[in-house]
Amino acid sequence: MNLRLAVRLAWRDWRSGELALLLVALLVAISTVTAISLFVDRLHRALLAESVNFLAADRYVGATHPIPDDFRRAARARGLETADTLVFPSMVFAANERHQLISVKAVSEGYPLRGALVTGSEPFGSGSAAAGTPKPGEVWMDSRLFPALDVRLGDMVEVGVAPLKVSRVLLKEPDRGGSFFDLGPRLLMNLADVPATEVVQPGSRIDYRLLLRGEDQALDAYRAALRLDEGFQWVGVRESSPRIGAALDRAESFLLLGGLLAVLLAGVAVALSAHRYARRHYDHVGILKTLGAGPASVLSGFMGILLIVGSLSVALGLSLGGALHLVIVATLDAFIPVSLPPPGPRPFLLGAATGMICALAFAMPPLLHLKDISPMRVMRRNLGAAPASEWLTWGAAAAGSLLLLIWYSESLALTLWTLLGTGAVLLAFGGLSWLLLRGGRALGMQAGSRLRLALSGLQRRRRDSTAQILVFGLAIMLLLVLALLRTALIDEWRSALPDDVPNHFLMNVAPEQLAPVEALLGANTSRQGPLYPMVRGRVAAVNGVGAKVWQAGLERKSTGGPIEELSEERNLTWTPVLPNENVVVAGSWWSGDDERALVSLEDVYAEELGLGLGDRLEFDIGGRRLEVEVASLRAIEWESMQPNFLVILSPAALEDFPATYMTSFFLPTGEKAFLNRLLSEFPTITVIEVDAIVEQIKSIVDRVTQAVELVLALVLVSGCLVLIASIQASRDARLGEHALVRTLGGAKSLIAGSLAFEFALLGAFSGLTAAVGAEVTVALLQVQVFELPASLHPALWLLGPAVGALLVLGVGLAGTWRIVSSPPMLVLRSVD
Amino acid sequence: MNPSVVRAAGIEKSVPNVDGRLLILDGIELEINAGESVAVTGASGSGKTTLLGILAGLDLPTAGSVHLAGHEITAMDEEQRAQIRGRHVGFVFQTFQLLASLTALENVMLPAELRGDADATSAALELLRQVGLGERAGHYPRQLSGGEQQRVAIARAFASRPTILFADEPTGNLDTRTGGRVIELLFDLNAAFATTLVLVTHDDRLAARCRRMVEMEAGRLVA
Repeated sequence: MNLRLAVRLAWRDWRSGELALLLVALLVAISTVTAISLFVDRLHRALLAESVNFLAADRYVGATHPIPDDFRRAARARGLETADTLVFPSMVFAANERHQLISVKAVSEGYPLRGALVTGSEPFGSGSAAAGTPKPGEVWMDSRLFPALDVRLGDMVEVGVAPLKVSRVLLKEPDRGGSFFDLGPRLLMNLADVPATEVVQPGSRIDYRLLLRGEDQALDAYRAALRLDEGFQWVGVRESSPRIGAALDRAESFLLLGGLLAVLLAGVAVALSAHRYARRHYDHVGILKTLGAGPASVLSGFMGILLIVGSLSVALGLSLGGALHLVIVATLDAFIPVSLPPPGPRPFLLGAATGMICALAFAMPPLLHLKDISPMRVMRRNLGAAPASEWLTWGAAAAGSLLLLIWYSESLALTLWTLLGTGAVLLAFGGLSWLLLRGGRALGMQAGSRLRLALSGLQRRRRDSTAQILVFGLAIMLLLVLALLRTALIDEWRSALPDDVPNHFLMNVAPEQLAPVEALLGANTSRQGPLYPMVRGRVAAVNGVGAKVWQAGLERKSTGGPIEELSEERNLTWTPVLPNENVVVAGSWWSGDDERALVSLEDVYAEELGLGLGDRLEFDIGGRRLEVEVASLRAIEWESMQPNFLVILSPAALEDFPATYMTSFFLPTGEKAFLNRLLSEFPTITVIEVDAIVEQIKSIVDRVTQAVELVLALVLVSGCLVLIASIQASRDARLGEHALVRTLGGAKSLIAGSLAFEFALLGAFSGLTAAVGAEVTVALLQVQVFELPASLHPALWLLGPAVGALLVLGVGLAGTWRIVSSPPMLVLRSVD
Repeated sequence: MNPSVVRAAGIEKSVPNVDGRLLILDGIELEINAGESVAVTGASGSGKTTLLGILAGLDLPTAGSVHLAGHEITAMDEEQRAQIRGRHVGFVFQTFQLLASLTALENVMLPAELRGDADATSAALELLRQVGLGERAGHYPRQLSGGEQQRVAIARAFASRPTILFADEPTGNLDTRTGGRVIELLFDLNAAFATTLVLVTHDDRLAARCRRMVEMEAGRLVA
């Protein structure tokens, strides 16, 4: 058959509606993938762009010693922008003799490379993005330093021996998030002023950073060329902020999974509509063959048609997907404060490839075996097709799915788990639907005529019905899986960041200040956390071995970043009760009246330093020695925004040491002036504001949530398409039978009733199998891919069958109603 | 004597069934000469349609050989048989077998299009006129009566200017009057195109119009 004839046949099939469903299924597959990946691609770029604000750069090189000039020159040679920061603790003195421990950040011209500094003229007031950095001789200071030092803008302060003028209030600093535990309020100064302070001496604790900004490729090439040794750290978003890194990873996994399921569903719809198209062309092929068309000619003709439909749907699908994604962007525009960067070519390539792979893997197998139709079929209708090669059909579909999944998700683990889950579910579904049909039959014997007719119909086409329950079940299952995962993910994110999550930390509270501070906080803030005593101390020895020697004996992990320094001075606390968000994972928590000197360590910290239960740690606390035994290991929810301690001691061990206290509380944005009052009354107290960070994380979670919901909606469309395709595919057989019943005198209401029952039953059975499958798949995915705890969903067992029955009933009746209400003769003719 | 257009020798056809194999055709010997018209009659299930399918190259016998228009089609593969059908064979079926998605004209043009002929339209229109449906060329099969559909099928059968025309119960789905008119048309065109005609029928009137009648009984030719 020549191409011209193929085009004409395709056109005639299109005109008669035969190709419409296939085209629509392909179109949905392509446009869904294109739209989702376009949106995800752009959102991903935007999120990344926003996340790099947490670094104030795209990447940075960190060190505890000066960074060589070669690094800067090499970076500039590769077209990268650079800036330098230096962070060190120091004291600031005001003219009135007040002083405060601060964290100084000295920055070079160009800082920050990403994000913006926000400054103002009122402490705790509103501000705007600053142009540039502090000029030489000037400093910008955190709001809380103003009441603490009792200074105003224009006053002079001293850092080290350098007098500097306070010129702005520093309200927001993009890269504060990564380091909010570096204590003390911020003082921002010009890098050029650092030598004059004379505080930077050999041996000082200084954090040097070379900030970098540029294209990913240039950055990667730069990193490779640098060959950083152990004295330097290379840091990107994921390394710098594990919290945001994890949220991004999960969101991406989810979006990918959603897109991927949409593709699979659309693939099933393509396969079903291609099967129906092929079946409706058996006669067609028989006739063509009697007229002289050979197998090769039939094959080339239908492949030509497929090619035309494939190309057409790719062209239309890409435009539709592009338009759809614009609609999405426009709809969500108000919620997306970041401007989306233009998309790359990958989404379009992915869309086009999806169309072609769907056409080849899902639509081609049924069309392939059209060439084997016997021409004798024109005289004997019962001569169906030569048996379709099920190996080919399933093999091609499986290979196509695998290819698409891997390419789309770029994750073998996600792909394999999805396929494994689907495969196991298919097997289980087959068995389950078989049982349901048998059980239904027995039940139907006692039922009224409509239900009996429906059940006997399902039973008679048991093979088809099983397949349909499988397909519906799979579609409903995927929807349930996605809905459940979405809920689980969002719940987890939200519960990690409730609305009144503490957004301020209070440190350095002296014991005599405890009562008045608590009273003040109680009257002015909400959700005040417990007060923790804090003692500075360091580990001096483990089991009698000096800390440095012990650490040297540990094998450095090849993959991990820098491990904790055992002998570093850190905050110790003591408490009789296990803090919230902490879970004992080994050993046991002490009772309140335990007299022993015990310690509880964070599990990862302990593991890194080779510490276990029963080990004896000797602490050096201000020159005093204290020996304690490791009694328990704890897992900490670091995302909780609560004061967390790596090392907690029993009250008996530490309560005699002089301590200051810390706590956390929630303060709404509008009430920040309270801080002024607090700090004027208690100038020695340190307040750390993390509200900006909390807001940033919340806004990312919100945005990701919207994207997740959108993907769910698109998958829903694909799911409905599968339902429609599947019902269309079985329509002829079902309608033929019902037309016959009507011819034999069955009332229209009997047919309608029995059809309704049939669809509802199919849907309910599918929903039930879907519920089983969804539970298993979600449990697997949660544990294996998303690293969330597995959970059972009892509501699903009711929801599944109900949703299934309603969906299939709705779509089924909509697809068959017109023909149910037309005369049986017409129906018999049209399906003959 | 005219050369033979169809020559079947030792045709057997059997299909598997529960008792082993069911013999449908049993040692058929038949020769049909050019320009002949042959009616194959017999009771339902006697094997008439199976024989027609094998003679026309739509199906293969289990044993024996068939020569069609000088070619041994039983030694050919499906591709080659399709070519022979396209060049030499026309068909008329009991159930008309028009493509529902094509108009009457498009159905008649189909054989020429399959051959790749550049202009199939005028010849097809002329044939439609000859069967009296020139005015209805743009109608779809569902808009035509049974008799009209069969006339379109006849026009399509002659569109490939076949050497031999096979007809399977061409009046089986038509009332007596319409059937009569379809028979007239079939024989008129057959004469005009000098085609060999082989038809399977229950209809004695139709069988009587043929020059030769062969009768089948339980898979054998009895007369």
